[in-house]
Amino acid sequence: MESSDERVVAVIMVGGPTKGTRFRPLSFNTPKPLFPLAGQPMVHHPISACKRIPNLAQIFLIGFYEEREFALYVSSISNELKLPVRYLKEDKPHGSAGGLYYFRDMIMEDSPSHVFLLNCDVCCSFPLPDMLEAHKRYGGMGTMLVIKVSAESAHQFGELVADPTTMELLHYTEKPETFVSDLINCGVYVFTPEIFTAIQDVSMHREDRANLRRVSSFEALQSATSRALPTDFVRLDQDILSPLAGKKQLYTYETMDFWEQIKTPGMSLKCSALYLAQFRHTSPHLLAGGDGTKTATISGDVYVHPSAKVHPTAKIGPNVSISANVRIGAGVRLISCIILDDVEIKENAVVIHSIVGWKSSIGKWSRVQAEGDHNAKLGITILGEAVTVEDEVVVINSIVLPNKTLNVSVQEEIIL
Amino acid sequence: MKALILVGGFGTRLRPLTLSVPKPLVDFANKPMILHQIEALKAIGVTEVVLAINYQPEVMLNFLKDFETKLGIKITCSQETEPLGTAGPLALARDKLIDDSGEPFFVLNSDVISEYPLKEMIDFHKAHGGEASIMVTKVDEPSKYGVVVMEESTRKVEKFVEKPKLFVGNKINAGIYLLNPSVLDRIELRPTSIEKEVFPKIAAEQKLYAMVLPGFWMDIGQPRDYITGLRLYLDSLRKKSSSKLATGSHIVGNVIVDETAKIGEGCLIGPDVAIGPGCVVEAGVRLSRCTVMRGVRIKKHACISSSIIGWHSTVGQWARVENMTILGEDVHVSDEIYSNGGVVLPHKEIKSSILKPEIVM
Repeated sequence: MESSDERVVAVIMVGGPTKGTRFRPLSFNTPKPLFPLAGQPMVHHPISACKRIPNLAQIFLIGFYEEREFALYVSSISNELKLPVRYLKEDKPHGSAGGLYYFRDMIMEDSPSHVFLLNCDVCCSFPLPDMLEAHKRYGGMGTMLVIKVSAESAHQFGELVADPTTMELLHYTEKPETFVSDLINCGVYVFTPEIFTAIQDVSMHREDRANLRRVSSFEALQSATSRALPTDFVRLDQDILSPLAGKKQLYTYETMDFWEQIKTPGMSLKCSALYLAQFRHTSPHLLAGGDGTKTATISGDVYVHPSAKVHPTAKIGPNVSISANVRIGAGVRLISCIILDDVEIKENAVVIHSIVGWKSSIGKWSRVQAEGDHNAKLGITILGEAVTVEDEVVVINSIVLPNKTLNVSVQEEIIL
Repeated sequence: MKALILVGGFGTRLRPLTLSVPKPLVDFANKPMILHQIEALKAIGVTEVVLAINYQPEVMLNFLKDFETKLGIKITCSQETEPLGTAGPLALARDKLIDDSGEPFFVLNSDVISEYPLKEMIDFHKAHGGEASIMVTKVDEPSKYGVVVMEESTRKVEKFVEKPKLFVGNKINAGIYLLNPSVLDRIELRPTSIEKEVFPKIAAEQKLYAMVLPGFWMDIGQPRDYITGLRLYLDSLRKKSSSKLATGSHIVGNVIVDETAKIGEGCLIGPDVAIGPGCVVEAGVRLSRCTVMRGVRIKKHACISSSIIGWHSTVGQWARVENMTILGEDVHVSDEIYSNGGVVLPHKEIKSSILKPEIVM
């Protein structure tokens, strides 16, 4: 089983358009996986983490977006990393494990010894090489990344119980109504190729049961909750993890670092800050520095794209990410915000706890801010693409859809 | 004869409907908004219509190809690269609007719905011999708009007053103009307002005349006015004894129903309802003062009033939808849900009631 050239392959699930309404209005023109966090597209962070895995052969992105939406990114990242990165489009929903199975031939084409499976909208430190070592020690079929969260929030995720000595997964349940455990599933896994057999077993078993159902008229009267799923629709949580828990096949690896899910624009701001903080340790050259003499004053963790122009009298940070071709005028103050491509922020404006959309324009002495509650519906102010905030206008705790001009101040509003 | 329709920009006031199609293609009384105007122009002999747009030209052009052949009228687009205001687009389309005939050309604002008495406007224009004619309409609250002050006997326009504080008149610009080609010489290719810069100059030279629009007028660029506009439009159909209005024991007041729509037993439909192509209205449904767009299914016993239901949406059994609820494309309201003024963006499911007006993204 151990060979000197064991190859590893990584699969990143990027999701798709019809289910992505929670990321509006930022998802109207850009697929969520390509939305920038700390200056890099969301999917770039797990991809960079995969690059640290020894003997990584290929990375696959699997999703429902059109191929052309990922074509440019995939070719440029393949060149940059000198590693094949491919985007595969699912033709119909197969479930979180079914998608992996559907593309098994391509995934297994180099006969890898291990397959990583990651969700794109997970924000964490991705300790993948350590996970792989642990997985090899455990000798099971799969190892999942887990983390302790507060007892109150655990019910939003997959809760699990693990043996504290062997780290074996003993019990797993998805979004339970009553408390099971404060240890939850991070959505990052490493498997041996046996996972494909396990998924196939689920499909075949379901097909057998469907055949049986046709025979029994009593079963035909069963309620909607036991409606048969298509045989090729296999969910990782309910169909693989829960049934195989406690059978010495699945193990856990606990991370002590940060972990968040990036479901809403508010969370993307929080996760951008987490990645910026991580850069301070892993890639400090990416962070900006400045003291107000020749370049703007920088406070805390800040990313500024090389093509952006920031006036030396501006003060930027902490937790600010500035994208390409942005122009920041004199005396501007930015705190905890993401400024997207081609934005112009005019003199003396203030932006706090906000996301300013591509090509928007923020007027002189205007103020765009929010309370900063990443989980509240209007906790972070979001300006969509090409929004103009006129001089001296105040925008607080609001969401503004693309192509709007605000010439009066607004608070706590969604502007269509 | 030529015409220009000012289509303009993003139609943000008609969101969420305009998140799915550009505003001129949003259906009104079962027909894309802009088709009402193009048909009126065709009827009085206009041979070419230029659409002045600055958004989604590909979508518009595809749609227009169909109608060019069906209607037998030439339709072209003039695309602004920067917003040119209400007069600039005329300068941009200059070459398309002028030919050797020296005939005047029409300019229409795309958000307006009216009876389009364009033949009468041509006669009016010839009779006064001036350079430009503008249609005006009487409103109850002129201070919300730009008022056109004119001499009653000659109909010569004296001046424009924007949102007057004191009463100066009750006629406002209805957004329908008939202009001599010489007007184009007055317009530079830059963002220009026809009301603030061009018309006042023509009025000062005593060459601008105003005709009072007979019949109804409405700017349907936002949902509340869209719903009022449908009432006025259907009312005018009734006055012309149109066969387009639906009849039957289940119909109350003015209602239009596309011939491909199906209506079940025990329904009560109307007043002021439009039901689009391919719609299915199941048994026991009550609809009043609402528009139901193409492909919508309204399930049994539901009740909808003063709302707009977007393309391919569904409204569940016993659901109650009212008070300016606007459902975007492909929105699915579950059974027994109540929506009081919910404004729902496309591709959403509504599984819990909306008790007070709210935007659902």
